[in-house]
This record gives sequence, structure tokens and C-alpha cells, in this order.
Amino acid sequence: MSAWWVVLRKELLDAVRDRRMVVVALVVMPLAVPLILAGMSALGTQRQVEKLESTLELPVIGAEHAPNLVAWLGTHDVRVVAAPEDADRAVLRQEHDVVLRIDGNFAGDWRAGRPARLEIVFDSSRPLQSGATVARLRGLLAGYDQQVGTLRLVARGIHPAVAQPLQVGERDVATPGMRFDLAQQMLPYLLLLLAFVGGMQLAIDATAGERERQSLEPLLATPASREAIIGGKILATAAFAMLSVLVTLLMYRAAFALLPADRIDTSLAVPVDALARLLLVVLPVVLLGATVLTALAAFARSHREAQGYLPLLIFLPMLPTLYLMVAPVKTQAWMLAVPFLGQNQLILRILRGEPVTALEWAINLGTGLVLVAMVWWLAARLYHREQLAASG
Amino acid sequence: MIEVQGLQKSFAVRGAVIRAVDDVSFAARDGEITGLLGPNGAGKTTTLRMLYTLMQPDAGRVLVDGVDPATQPGDVRRRLGVLPDARGLYKRLTARENVVYFGHLHGIAGAEIAARIDRLVAALGMQDFIDRRVEGFSQGQRTKTAIARALVHDPRNVLLDEPTNGLDVMTTRSLRHFLQELRAEGRCVLFSSHVMQEVAALCDRIVVIAHGRVMADGTPDELRARTGRANLEDAFVQVIGSEEGLFS
Repeated sequence: MSAWWVVLRKELLDAVRDRRMVVVALVVMPLAVPLILAGMSALGTQRQVEKLESTLELPVIGAEHAPNLVAWLGTHDVRVVAAPEDADRAVLRQEHDVVLRIDGNFAGDWRAGRPARLEIVFDSSRPLQSGATVARLRGLLAGYDQQVGTLRLVARGIHPAVAQPLQVGERDVATPGMRFDLAQQMLPYLLLLLAFVGGMQLAIDATAGERERQSLEPLLATPASREAIIGGKILATAAFAMLSVLVTLLMYRAAFALLPADRIDTSLAVPVDALARLLLVVLPVVLLGATVLTALAAFARSHREAQGYLPLLIFLPMLPTLYLMVAPVKTQAWMLAVPFLGQNQLILRILRGEPVTALEWAINLGTGLVLVAMVWWLAARLYHREQLAASG
Repeated sequence: MIEVQGLQKSFAVRGAVIRAVDDVSFAARDGEITGLLGPNGAGKTTTLRMLYTLMQPDAGRVLVDGVDPATQPGDVRRRLGVLPDARGLYKRLTARENVVYFGHLHGIAGAEIAARIDRLVAALGMQDFIDRRVEGFSQGQRTKTAIARALVHDPRNVLLDEPTNGLDVMTTRSLRHFLQELRAEGRCVLFSSHVMQEVAALCDRIVVIAHGRVMADGTPDELRARTGRANLEDAFVQVIGSEEGLFS
């Protein structure tokens, strides 16, 4: 029996006997991820529906200058309420999503046929909270504008089409799978994070922990080569993280199956055939995480020191997600070669049901595995240091 | 058979170079118990670590059954059963699983490991706890498990670093008896200790180490004759030049 396999099997047995490790990796994380995402999605959908379908309570300043407009808004599910003293402050303090200010000369301008002035007061830095409401108000005002404009043209005997040189139609080519929201942006990050640090407990226990409980020295006195020992430990860590990712994806699917469809954006669900491809995408990340963690744990003197590196490791897979949120760019080939960024792109494309070519797979998996090989070599080098075992 | 010739090892500790082992030579023969006696910090553990290939000597060489660890470390490790100073076990595994793991790492088949464990359990008196998880073991149970783990591959040469450290009187007695059995089977037993009484009670040959050097090497009788002291304790003190760290 190969020493790799012996070490791998023992580390997994040891890990499975650690109830806390198993509960965190195979129960807590797999439950937390779908709950966070399904919750975000449900909340988002619900708020969107509420904002678009419920009566809009709209503070209007100077409502007395435009009674017709106010009455028209009333017939379009808008209830005009008393306006605050200082509209800008009220919006900034989030007391109102939006305030409509009607200019004092509105009536005069209106009668004279000049454009009458309105002002929508809103805070563009809060698009999630007020974006839908602002868009709804704009739509209503544009509708009123066009309606009155058309009537004026007709009253002057001009065909309304004269004032409409263009007729712009819109055709959205997005498939339902391509709908993009926050929850969908979070899923790749959470998956990559889980893949990267999911085996952390096992890696720390298998290396730094082995030194701390003084079992490493007898282990290194056996004929098993250090390459085999570290290889078995890395593979055990990777297997554990992979299992954690798999359980998480299955729970994620189950969560979307259980929750009521009208409350959930069903386009976020993961189709069965995508599961295998997602696992393939995260494979290099799982191996990279296992090697980095094992190298770090071999470098660290204790459990505590090894755990100190964790915040840094959690930050790494976050970088491309942040980058993509700030600058959502078109996928280019070189991106697939960047660790985390490439995987992030591929996960999104798989979730959106877009095809991935063989070349793109090759670039992504190839560069990922080369990086793994480099860190693996480094970890093995660290394992050859004399100080590693001779700590006592 | 273990031969050590001119072994040297230095460590750099915060800029200062410490000569832990400075020209150590001795031999441990088959069918004998050889004791490495010296105060704490004399270089015993470092010497043993170079024997079982955990450390590379700066100079000098080691031969285990005529095999050089510098060129064939794997072969040497197979010929050695090692109970290091650090004898941690995997606490979530049973004693048996701990021993089986090392048997597999030595490349031994499962049936042979099982038979070997049966013999070690009988010899060391491990019947009561061999199938219990290690968590909560007493010091004596831990040491016995670690010894069984070190000997699962039936090595010709047995190295033990301070084997009786932290053991009660009864366990120490049974351990001594076990070492004598190993000698009777014709094995080469080399153990280190800072406890003079221990070495005096067990050893056929004694190698006295202090400050990284061999201060004396011989049978208890030879040591007494050389120093002209009838009492072995006095002989040790004279050889080392101080009483520091020799008694516990």
C-alpha cells in the first residue's frame, strides 16, 4: 500500500472523528451558504415586488401649483403625502426614498406653453433602496409628459407622430438564466472561499497540530518519504474541502426546491448538469487551498499562528469578486488564467447557462494546476527543513 | 549494530553557534543494552536524532547494520525502531489504529501487523486499552502505545530517548523487563537517560556524554576500574566533573 494513500486515509479518519470539524465543514457551512443566498434573493425579490406594486407614498413640495398632475398621479396608484421642510435633508437621512418638488412658476409656465419645471430629489448612492422607486416616478412623469404633449399637438391640428421622429423598441436578449443580482454575484465568491479554506481545520491539525502534539517526529522516523507524507496530507485536505463544496451545492439546490417559487428568483438555482462542471472549476482552487494551507501550517509554529493567517486567505478569493462588482467586464482569455478571477468568471458563465469552450477550460485548469504544482513544491521544501520536526 | 564515528552537530541560536554534539563516537552491539547517560542538554537527543535521520550531521558518520543513513535513509529507518523524545499519539484514534498506521507506513501487510500487535500487546501488557481511543490515556499507557508503534515492524535495532520519563515505578519495572526481553532476542538496544540508577540497573555498556562529548565508554566494571571508585555513582560524578543534572 502506497504511503500517500496510508496518510490520506488516516488523516480523513482522524478528521471524521473530530465532531466539531465535521459539523462546521459539512453541516454549518453547507447550511449557511444557501440560507444567506436564498434569503438575499427572497428579500430582494419581495422588496422589488412591493416597491413596484404597492401604492407609492410620494411627498410633493408645492402640490398646490399643479393640482391636475397631482390628481393624475392619484389615479396611478400614487398617494401624495405632506412634504418635509427640507427635502434634501430628508432624502439624505433616508426618511424618504424620493421627493417631488413642483416649481412655484409651474402654473404660469404651463399656461404659457413653456416647459414647466419639476424636480426629483433622490440619493443615487443608494440604488438598491430607492432605485426602483425613482425609476417608477420617472416613468410616471414621462407618461404624463407624453400624454399632455400629444394632446397639445392634436389640439393644434398636428399629427403627434411629427414630434416622434424615432420609435425606439427594446428587445432584451437575456435568457432567464442570465438575470443578474447580488445573490448571484455572491455565489461564486462563497463557493471559491469554501473551496479555498474549507479544509483549513484538517490542514492545520495535520501539520501544525501534528507538531504541537509531538507526533511528527515519530512519523518522520518511518521509511515513508516526506513527499508522500505531505502529499497524503494535502490530498486529504483537498478531499475534505471538495466534500464540503459538494454538500453545499446540494444543499443550495435543495433550498431552492423547498422555498416557494414566487418568493425566490428561480434563475439562481443550479441545474444538475452544471453541478459536475462547477466541481471541476473549483478543483484547482481546492487543491491550491489545500497546498497553501499545508505550507502555511508547516511554516507556522502552532495552531494559533496558523489560524492567524486565515483573514488573509479569506481576502484572496474576494479580490476578483470585488473587481467584477466595480468593473463588470467582458470575459477575456487572459482572465481565465488568473486564479480566482478565472474561476469566478467560469462559475458565473456556468450558472448563466453560457457555453465554455475546450480551450477556455484548458487555459483555466492548466494555469490553476501549474500554480498548484508550484506551491506544492514549496510546501514539500518546507517539509524538508530540519527545524520542522526538531522543535523540542 | 549501531556505529557512530566522529559525529558533530552545531545549531545557530540567535547568532550564537552552539556545539550540541562535538566529536561523538561509540558502538552499540547486538544482544546488548547500551545506555547513553548524560545530564540534560548533554547532546543525547541530538545524537539520537542524527541516528534516525531526522538531522544531518555536520561531520562524522553513522552506520546501522553497516548501512549509512546519509546514502540510504529509508533502509536505515526500516532497521530502526524509534521512540523519540516527542512521542505524541493521535488522540482520536485507538491505540491499535495508531500502531497499525505506522505498520502501514513501514509497508507491512495487514495480517502481519495484526500478529505483531498481538505479541506486543502481550509483552507490554496493553490488553486493557489497545482498542480504546488514546484521548485520556495515562502517561504509562501512552508510552506503551508509543513503544508498540516504534516496534511494529520488528526492527533489529531499538532506539529509545528517555523511555522511562514520567512513568511510575510499576510501569518502569515492566518496561525494564521488556528491554531485557529485546536484548534476549538478540536485538541492539540503545537508550538515553539522565537517570544514573536507570542506566546502572539495565545496561551492558554505558556511554557517558556531557557538553556534547563522550566522557567515558565501557561496561560498569570497566568504569569503576578506570576511575578507581568502587561506587558507580562516584565514578560517574568523577567522569563528568560535576553532579549537575545527574540525579532525579
